[in-house]
Amino acid sequence: MTSMVEARHLCKRVTTSEGELVILSDINLSISAAETVAIVGASGSGKSTLLGLMAGLDSASSGDMLLDGQNLSTMDEEQRARLRGQSVGFVFQSFQLLPSLTALENVMLPIELKNDRNARQKAAQLLQRVGLEARVTHYPNQLSGGEQQRVAIARAFASQAKILFADEPTGNLDTTTGAKVIDLLFSLNKEYGTTLVLVTHDDRLAQRCGRLVRLVAGEITEDVVAGDAVHV
Amino acid sequence: MSEQSASAFNTVSVRTLIGVALRLLWRDWRGGELRLLLLAMIMAVTSVSGIALFTDRLERALLQESANMLAADRVLGAREQPPRELLSEAEQRGLSTAEYIAFASMVFSDQGNLLIAAKAVSDAYPLRGDLQVADEAFGVAYVADQGGPARGEVWVESRVLPSLDINIGDTVFLGDSEFTVSRVLVQEPDRQQGGMMENAGPRLLMHMDDVPATNVIQPGSRVTYRYLFAGEQSALEDYTTWVRNQFDGQYRLRDVRDESAEVSEALNRGESFLLLGSLFAVLLAGVAIALTARRYSERHFDYAAILKTLGCTSNQISIIYFCILLAVLLLAVIVGSIAGWGLHMLILNLLQSVIPISLPPASGLPFVVGALTALICLFAFALPPLLALKHTSPLRVLRKDLADAPLSTALPYVFGIAGGLVLVIWYSQDLLITAILVAAVSSVAVALSALSYLLLRSGTAAGMRAGSAWMLAMSAVRRRRRQSVLQVLVFSLTIMSLLTLGLLRTDLIADWQAQLPENTPNHFMMNIRSDQVAGMEDYLRDNDIQSNPFYPMMSAGLLRVNGETAPLPWDNDEEGNNASSSVTERSAESSQDDASDADAAENDGNRSGRVENRQVTYTAQLPPDNELVAGSWWGSDARPGEVSVELDYANRLRLELGDELVFRLGQQEVTVTVTSFRTVRWDNMQPNFFFIFSPGTLDSIGSTYLSTLLLQGEQKVLLNDLLRTYPTIVVLEVDALIEQIQTIIAQVSSAVELIAVLVLIAGALVLLSCVNATLDERFRENAILRTLGAGRKLIMTSLLIEFAFIGLLAGLIATLGAEISVYYLQVEVFQQEFFPHYWVWIVGPLAGTLIIASLGVNATRRVVSTSPLAVLRNLSA
Ligand SMILES: Nc1ncnc2c1ncn2[C@@H]1O[C@H](COP(=O)(O)OP(=O)(O)O)[C@@H](O)[C@H]1O
Ligand SMILES: [Mg+2]
Repeated sequence: MTSMVEARHLCKRVTTSEGELVILSDINLSISAAETVAIVGASGSGKSTLLGLMAGLDSASSGDMLLDGQNLSTMDEEQRARLRGQSVGFVFQSFQLLPSLTALENVMLPIELKNDRNARQKAAQLLQRVGLEARVTHYPNQLSGGEQQRVAIARAFASQAKILFADEPTGNLDTTTGAKVIDLLFSLNKEYGTTLVLVTHDDRLAQRCGRLVRLVAGEITEDVVAGDAVHV
Repeated sequence: MSEQSASAFNTVSVRTLIGVALRLLWRDWRGGELRLLLLAMIMAVTSVSGIALFTDRLERALLQESANMLAADRVLGAREQPPRELLSEAEQRGLSTAEYIAFASMVFSDQGNLLIAAKAVSDAYPLRGDLQVADEAFGVAYVADQGGPARGEVWVESRVLPSLDINIGDTVFLGDSEFTVSRVLVQEPDRQQGGMMENAGPRLLMHMDDVPATNVIQPGSRVTYRYLFAGEQSALEDYTTWVRNQFDGQYRLRDVRDESAEVSEALNRGESFLLLGSLFAVLLAGVAIALTARRYSERHFDYAAILKTLGCTSNQISIIYFCILLAVLLLAVIVGSIAGWGLHMLILNLLQSVIPISLPPASGLPFVVGALTALICLFAFALPPLLALKHTSPLRVLRKDLADAPLSTALPYVFGIAGGLVLVIWYSQDLLITAILVAAVSSVAVALSALSYLLLRSGTAAGMRAGSAWMLAMSAVRRRRRQSVLQVLVFSLTIMSLLTLGLLRTDLIADWQAQLPENTPNHFMMNIRSDQVAGMEDYLRDNDIQSNPFYPMMSAGLLRVNGETAPLPWDNDEEGNNASSSVTERSAESSQDDASDADAAENDGNRSGRVENRQVTYTAQLPPDNELVAGSWWGSDARPGEVSVELDYANRLRLELGDELVFRLGQQEVTVTVTSFRTVRWDNMQPNFFFIFSPGTLDSIGSTYLSTLLLQGEQKVLLNDLLRTYPTIVVLEVDALIEQIQTIIAQVSSAVELIAVLVLIAGALVLLSCVNATLDERFRENAILRTLGAGRKLIMTSLLIEFAFIGLLAGLIATLGAEISVYYLQVEVFQQEFFPHYWVWIVGPLAGTLIIASLGVNATRRVVSTSPLAVLRNLSA
């Protein structure tokens, strides 16, 4: 199977007022299509930074980052944007819906950007799938956190991405709501056969993934496939 | 990904992008985010097109009104009949023409005779303005239906009838012809044009074709020929150029500005003020657009980041926001133009009582000006921050702290300032005003940033123990230091604009009122012999007419300065002779002409030997409206041999105190020492002199006297009596001229008032949008404070203090800036004297504090009245 995501000797350094700060050092990681991977670690360990690099939201200081067979390090922001539009979906901790668009319009947006004429219909179907058919005309600030995240999940799948990145999708939600959102995420993922990379520090959530990668201070200290370790 | 699919993704989405843009636009509008930006844009278009429409029409109206003073748009005068070709060429160019001949003559009736100022006019006269006539002496005036008198008829001024002891319908004799007096002439538009010869004595108006038969014009007679022209501005200008080229400068077309220093000054100042007012309006609109666009784009950084994660490229983001701006621009131009039209109609309605003349229709230009202003404002102020969105890092969705980075680059400011500059220069076409404005604004901006930065930095200085509200406020100001400095900057620029306009307005109007106060003497009496002075003073007292000083007047030519030949003061400047259009000099025009003619002849046409003659006087008292600027006035114990020189004239001659001047008066040479310099109000329609000698210097030289009278309405008939008693004196009537000038000045004053008010409104909008622009952060911050348990009262008080502090700072700096720019504007542009306005140092900061504090607190009252939860939730998304 070809790798969906592949990091080779990936480093990320930033210059701050106190000097150079190494956020990620020598990350090597390969994720195959349809795999579900949880990235765990303490706050500040570099999880979001790694996710951003894998998704092409940022560029690495050194090393190579391949996404869907294309080397992100040799692409400029324009090319990366196009690649994101075609292959990548996102779910964020703070939902990141456009506040001036309704739930339906938020979901329609990525479909429209692909110039699909059936955007409205497809978006409506997805909203129904996440159980929000009654809320299509509501604006984000009229929705609860869980509902907003469900709209965000619908939007993420709307673009029919090959790979989905989620950064602490339950971080802003209470346990029960979070659990519901996670159920939804996983069942949609199964349906669409998407590759899922998910950052979390919620152990229960991590355990639902097929593979677990642990970051400590910018280095991978553990990379286990679920079957090998714990059986659920 | 193949090249093909990449480009397919790109091209097909352009239409979609426009769709996305329009949808975002619509949502933003509904959500209220766009409203402020749109409002600012509409305000810009409305105020600029409204003010431009108004000034456009008013300016034409004022020019038209003042053209009445010439009875034409342009006038050409000569002592000899100018070639007829001048008239035919003008007509071929679509201009209307008229002509007249002015001369002095005796007119006889069976009962008496009188020296009159005859004016023989062609059918088309007057081209501008009306002739007012009456059917009996001192009767009710009405507008003559067409042109001047028919052939064989004459119209005369009221006082001619009693003087010749005749009535309407009687016959008078002029030269070899006889005429029927058919009407009384009450007013002619260009009564005051020309020198003494044309205006000495009451007017008699006749038809031009009757002149040859009278045989009064003989070779050598003093006659003035005038050709009048009226028509389109551009045609007039082309024609003027043609005349200059064709006749090698021998003939010159003059307009009202050449003819009347008084009107030209009022018009020039009025236009400068209107221009300045609209410049401030543009500036304030630009600031409002900059502020709201910045706020809009700040709110859209998240949008841009999200769109990028969804696969939008930077270029697509640019397209989206470009479409949004374009739509906003279109909407603003359409709505703003309509509102601008409404605004100018409103102004006209308000001004109806002062501007009774029907205004010429507006041209389309003001709308173009308005639209262009919006376009330039938008591209200069709004495009840079919005295009900065394209550089938003998509990483923002993961890391909120990337927040402010994109806007901190200098590019938007460079864009904004350059755009503003281009706009101001293009709009004003006046480099002086632009330079002053730009210098004032930028120096204030620089000084201010430094000062407020320092002040805000040391905000916790001594004495600030007033409690936690004060601490809270100061820490808020300091926390938002960059933003606070920007706020102080915007507030002070706004307040400065308003103060500058306000101060200029007040001083201009006060100056105009002082120029021609009510009861300004409106008749000049000249050619009075010294033995007549006492008798005339008695006569005036007996008839209850206030008498004014009698000035001895004589013609003097400056020969040498400190032993060297005196230069001609206006040598290098053919237009520089404007000061001589003061009434004194103008009234003496003919005698002066004689003198210079004689000089020229004497010196064989050698220009360097020519002497310029001036009307001079001697007096013990400094005349009113004269102000000593150097040296000292001789007072009552004056010694002979001193002279006081008008300042500009002295500067042109490079005179200094103590210089020794030699004048020629008649056959004598007189040597005097310069002991003082004076400034003179040339526009006050009173006797004014370049040189005033100390008493005793010129006593041995014979002179005539000059004095002024105020005669109103029926009092004018006393002129007859006076002239019968003293037949040799010459009376110059300037009552009509003074009235015309007063009308024009009243109109310009109201225009000035109105523009000041309009800019005030624009300023208020800017203040509002600035307060609004900072609301978001305050909302959030105060919500957090309240969840931490801070009380309503504490928060309100701290907000009050915060805004009051910013207002005070802004008011202080604005006052400084305003005084400086008023100084330069008055000295350089308005040619006024500058006096510091002490009161404004109290009013400025106080107004700043009060206005900003109340605006701010009112706007942020919502901050404390909405529930903290709602605020936090609304903003966190
Ligand atoms: N652009 C940056 N500048 C400075 N520090 C950064 C930057 N990006 C990340 N960091 C730092 O790197 C560390 C890792 O950040 P992040 O990846 O967000 O951690 P996590 O998501 O695991 O909590 C943090 O200490 C963060 O402050
Ligand atoms: Mg993180």
